[in-house]
This record gives sequence, structure tokens and C-alpha cells, in this order.
Amino acid sequence: MDDLTTYAQNTWCPGCSNFGIFNAFKDAIRELEERGTSRDRVIMTAGIGNHAKIFDYLKLSGFYSLHGRSMATAQGIKMANPDLKVVTFAGDGDAYGEGMAHMIFAAKRNADITVIVHNNGVYALTTGQITPVSEKGTKGPSTPNGSVEPPLNPLALMLEAGATFIARGYPLWMDQLTEIIVSAVEHEGFSIVEVLQPCISFNNTYAKYNDMTEVLKKTPESYDEVMKVVKMKDKIPIGIMYKVKRPTYHRELYGNSNPVMDRVKKEDRRERIQELIWARY
Amino acid sequence: MGDKVFTFIVGGKAGEGVKKAGSVASKLFKGMGRNVFQMDDYQSLIRGGHNFSVVSSSIGDITSHYMKADLLVLIDSLSYEIHKEQITKEGIIVYDSDVIGYGEGIGVPLSSEAKNHESPDLIKGVGAVTALFAALGLDKSQLESTIRTEYSKNAEENVSYAMSIFEAVDRKIEGKFTLEAGESSRPMLTGNESIALGAYASGLDIYYAYPMTPSSSILHFLAAHEKDLGITTVHPESEIAVINMAIGSAITGARVMVGSSGGGFALMEEAISLAGMTETPLLCILSSRPGPSTGVPTYTSQGDLGFAIHPGHGEFPKIVASPGSISEAFYVAAELMGLAWQFQTPTILLTEKHLSESSMTVDIDVRMANWAEAVMHKEGEYKRYLDTSNGVSALLSPPSDELIKWNSYEHDEMGITTEKAEIIVKMQDKRRRKRETIERYMKDMQTVNRYGDKGPVICTYGSTTMSVLEALRYKGMNARVVQPLYLEPFPVWEFEGYENEGVIVVEQSSIGQFATIIKEKTGITATKVIKKYDGRSFDPIELSEELQGVI
Repeated sequence: MDDLTTYAQNTWCPGCSNFGIFNAFKDAIRELEERGTSRDRVIMTAGIGNHAKIFDYLKLSGFYSLHGRSMATAQGIKMANPDLKVVTFAGDGDAYGEGMAHMIFAAKRNADITVIVHNNGVYALTTGQITPVSEKGTKGPSTPNGSVEPPLNPLALMLEAGATFIARGYPLWMDQLTEIIVSAVEHEGFSIVEVLQPCISFNNTYAKYNDMTEVLKKTPESYDEVMKVVKMKDKIPIGIMYKVKRPTYHRELYGNSNPVMDRVKKEDRRERIQELIWARY
Repeated sequence: MGDKVFTFIVGGKAGEGVKKAGSVASKLFKGMGRNVFQMDDYQSLIRGGHNFSVVSSSIGDITSHYMKADLLVLIDSLSYEIHKEQITKEGIIVYDSDVIGYGEGIGVPLSSEAKNHESPDLIKGVGAVTALFAALGLDKSQLESTIRTEYSKNAEENVSYAMSIFEAVDRKIEGKFTLEAGESSRPMLTGNESIALGAYASGLDIYYAYPMTPSSSILHFLAAHEKDLGITTVHPESEIAVINMAIGSAITGARVMVGSSGGGFALMEEAISLAGMTETPLLCILSSRPGPSTGVPTYTSQGDLGFAIHPGHGEFPKIVASPGSISEAFYVAAELMGLAWQFQTPTILLTEKHLSESSMTVDIDVRMANWAEAVMHKEGEYKRYLDTSNGVSALLSPPSDELIKWNSYEHDEMGITTEKAEIIVKMQDKRRRKRETIERYMKDMQTVNRYGDKGPVICTYGSTTMSVLEALRYKGMNARVVQPLYLEPFPVWEFEGYENEGVIVVEQSSIGQFATIIKEKTGITATKVIKKYDGRSFDPIELSEELQGVI
């Protein structure tokens, strides 16, 4: 047990790629500390699913949220104290299904949070149903004859919605995943890191990913180029696909103030109420 | 109503400046040191339909509008048809002779005069204000200065219109009514403004809401005053985002509030349960309209009582209160914010359109407002869910060197997920003990208001309290009114001694939810339940007659 791991018993399957994400994230925390962001300032939220067990395993403060809502909780944390870095762990069911509206709006308003999506293409914790990114024809307990729906392309959607940092990582390439996470957390604005996460029990995609993944040599610059990269079918590019600067939501709302650090004092509030009451009608 | 109450009703189409005319009238009465109650009746539409504003005032106490007016100004034909009978014995109707033709009362060419001006529709509200000034014997210069301040956008146009109407109407009704002035002018607030300010007084930092009538004006008011109050308001994508964001802010140390009506509150329920499980302090405002479903958005109801006291799945403590006046709404909002932080659990302020959107002269002493504070962790190893005898664990907000884990799953004291039987029992017991602690604490709080010391017992709550008190005042009837301010935990200890009395219940529910809860909690069966569920609040005269029939 290291200094970033709790006493909770780890129940991921042996060989689960969640271990890769867990280790890459711990390395990212250490790297962030080296670069001046202490771990007490990194707050985590998690959705519900196998990915979310990372909440119990990581020795980091945070909030174990509801299915699909971890992005909303994260935005609330950032809103109250913008000095904190907030990282959300979500599954593909969480982020792209139940919580998709929160993802789109977080990207639209450029909420300064990082979302790490453990994309395993399956609802593993509930024994293998399809997710929003499952290919047409995928069989599972809820679609025994094969899914009739085509998959979503979440990264294209995130680009369109206004995300200012888009990346994809692969747990087998841990050092690169660590680097991506560090950049995502340091990025001021909405960052999405989709991690390809083979599920050895319900959706073992190791062979496919080992075959199709390819390191993205250079972060594309124009919107059209990025769109091309996120829509690529014959290869799966891994790396930072998009990174631009845009004012963040909390800064646009209240500039440089900090709601919990700059709270208006009790007596001041009373005076302000008196003034306001007498100015009414 | 006796001779003390003066009621002004103005009716017209949406977009004709009806509500504004009501507000200008309220301000005039308030300036005379009178107590004022204003109720606006409007529909869920932008143009057309039928809107009216009722302003009743008195030098004595007044807690409701009256549906019989001394002066009725009716500026479209539908208003004329609907309201022409709602008049006191000495009352006068002023109507727009251009659209109504010949009617009872005094016809004034409000429309043809308006046609000489730029925005002929909105300006008709100015005509209504002018008729009021003439009827009260006020002079042209007083009228001019009011119009100039209140309708400043097109001041010259409006003043010249008002002057021409004054000429037309003054001879006919000049000084018809003489109103007594009160000793001092008091401020006036809507219920939603009072709730917003009460929450602010107790420490509100961030208000999250998605628009839903009749709660929306809390958001509008706080957003308009964001800068002068030093707070943040956020309008996200849905009520689900609203409450989950609010929870995120609360665990980070911000005093937060969310608000909606029934449908939005239903969307929030999963996260109300989350707040209960994670022990997050959260104040929720539920302002009711008639349901079920979308229901009747701009009207009033008490049909959400059962819903408000049983929100969310699973077993966790919650505190629900409903204010009985606009002044009380201020203190209740502050107190519920305080209780949310003291006990780290969701608290719900249940109210209705009738309180939210009516306005009233208020007596508010801001020093009396609760200030929300929690027991904070001081030193040593931190356990978010430390098992304590009263069920309350100390709070700690990030950043901290200590590990702070809030968990929606059942958890151990550290906040790590568990499925162990003995820990499940321990945590269920902790939350149950917290509820018991809350109940013990509430025994020393004022959880029930009582009015009157003789006569039959009338139980009521929320905005209906205002209607009941005015009905009794109208007829000078004696009764003992018992109004539980707190509805969950229900203050059963305050109901001892009423078992053998005939209790009359007054509420705005079709199935009598309040009477059912009183029976369930206290064993007291109401001898008579007076119900109203047409979306309108009780009229004091009608209610007084109903009460007379059963007392």
C-alpha cells in the first residue's frame, strides 16, 4: 500500500485495465505535486460503476456521487472554491448515458474540471449490458438479439459542445496516460480524457486496441483537423487531440473572487438587507 | 371588512400593465402608512388572456386581499364580465368605455385616449392608476410625480396620458374615498423576496435554480442583486444539475440553496436522498402550484404536503417547515438554513404561489435571523462519518491534509464504501439518532404558532394561515388558530390537550392531506375539513362564512 492508496480492499478483476488508470493517476498526482499542485487541492468525484471504485481506493478527498451526476457535483465544488482542482471519474454509461446532458453543458460553459472517462464499452457492474458507445449488433443481457442502435461519437460531440481539452489514453501506455492526465488537470477549462479500458470479464478489447491504437504525433490545430482525428475509423489515435484557451465558467461569472474564501460577513449582510428592503416598492 | 379595509382591483389583458398598476397602488397605500396585501392573478401566457391585481390595505393588520373592491378599474371586456359583481356596497367601477361600451359605473375612454400615445396597451395601466388617484382625492401634481417615477421609460407620454384621463374621470369620482393614514410606512416584500433575503441573512453564498413558476422570482431577485449582496446565482441545464451542483458547493463550505416547484422538486429527489446519505447541508425551496404533473403553473395549492415531508428514497432525516406569512418566511428560511448546517441534512421550505408571489408590508428584524454554522473538525484524524452519540459528525471542507470522503454508498466512518452488516446497522442507527436529536432540539424551538385564546380550534398551515386570520378578523370571530410551522418532524408534543376538542382544519388540498397528517401523527380527527382546490387562495369573506357555518 502506497501513500495514495487507502485500506479498502480492491475488487477489480485481476488484470483489469482500471489498475492502469489507477496507477497512472497516482503518478499524475505525484507529478502535479512536483509542479506545485499539492494533493489536498485535488478533489475527486466519481459516478457509479466499476470505474467508480477508484474513489474507495484513492487516498484523496472527494465525493462519491450518483450515477451520471459526478460532473455536476464536480462543477459545484469548483464553483464554491475555484482554488481547487477537480477531477471526475466516470464510466461510459455514466458520462455518455445517464449524465450526457451534464457533460455537454460542462463543455459548453467551459467548466474548469477534468473528466476521466473509463470507456470499457459495457455496463460491467450490472453484468454486461450495452452502453451508448457499443457497436450496432452488440449482444448483452438487455439486447440478446443484438443492439439495433448505432454508437455515439462522444469526442466529436464534446468538440462540438465546446470542450477546450480533448484527449484519449490507453492504460497499457501508462507513462503517456500520466502525462495526459497532468496536462488535463493543469488545463484551465473543460478537459475530457477518454481512456480505452478493456474489460477482461465482459468486453475484452485488448487485442483490438493493441492492433488499432496509434500515438498521435502532434496535436491538431484546426477544428476540421481535430474533427477528422476524433472521427477516424481505421485507427484509434491516442494522445492530446485538442487544446485551446477560452475563459472559464467561474471566471466569467464572478471574476477573481472566491465564494467560500470571500464570504460576506454577518453584519454586512444585515446592512445590505436593510438597504435593499427599503429600496423595494 | 368593516370600514377599515380599502380594496382596489385592476383587471385587463396580459401586457396591459395590470400588475404594475397594482404595485403602484400598493406603494401609494404603503406611503400612507397603511398595511398592504397585494395578490396578482395571472395566466401562463405572454399576451391576452385575463390578468388582475388586487390590493387591499388597512391601518390595522391585514393578511389577505379581498375579492370585493371599493374601486374596480376594468380595462377590457372580459375583466368587466368577470369582476363587475365583485364590488362593495359603496364601491365604484371604472371601465374602458371604448371596449366595454355602456356598462354599470363610470365609463372612461381609456383606449381612444391611449391611441394618441405611443404604446397604447401598456399605457392603460396608467389610466387605472389615474382613476385611483382621482378617487382618493389626490391632485394632479401628486399624480404627475408618481407617474414620472413609476413609468419613467416613456415619462412624458405617460404623464400627458394620465393628465387627460384625470380630466375625464376626476369630475365623476373626485375624492370619493378618504383613507386614513397610518403612523409609519413599512417596507413591502413578496414572499419569494422574503425567502431569498432570509436565506441570505443566514449565510447564503450560492443559489442554484432552474426556472419554474412560482419559484422563479427567487432566482430573478437574487440574480438581479448578485453584485450588491455579494453572492453567486447559477441557472444550469436542469433541476438535476441544480441540486447536484449545490451539493458539490455545500461540501466545499458554501451555504447553498435550491428552489423549484413540484415538477422540478421531483427531479431533485434522488439527490435529496443523496444529501441525506452523504450528510450534506442543503436548503430546498418548494413553492407549490396545483398539480399533478405540469398542473396549473401560475396558481396556488397545498397539494405537495405529503410529497414535501417524504422526499427521496431510503430512510434519512429531513426537516420541513412552511411559513404562515411573508415576514415569517424570512425567519423560516434563515432558520432552515441554520438547521441544515447544524444537522448536516436537507431542509425544505414548503410554500405556495399565494405566499411566494403575493406581496405584503412586513415587520422584519434582520438581527433575529439565524446564522448558519456547523460543528467543525478541530484537530486529529478526521472521520467524515464519526459515529457520535447525537448522530452528528464534525464537518471539514477541502483543502485539508486530512482525508475527507463523502459517499453516496453506505460507508464506514472514514467514508469508504461498505457492505458489512454491522457497519450498515451502525450507520442506519447514526442517521436515526440524528433524527431523534433533531426532534429533541425542536422541542425547544417555536414549531407551532397560536393565535387567539378562546373559541373553537382551527388548524391550518402555510399561506392558508393568512386567509384564516383575515377571515376571523373580517367577522370579528373568536377562534384558537393552531399553525404548525414545522411539518417534519411533526411537532406532536404541541398537540397535547386538543384530543377532546372539535378541531376544524382549513387547507388547500382536494383530499385533505393536512387533516390526514394531523390524524396520523396526533390521533386527532378533524370534525370538519374546509378545503379549496381551484388554484385560488381563500377569499376572507367566503371563508368567514364557511367558518361561521361550522363553528
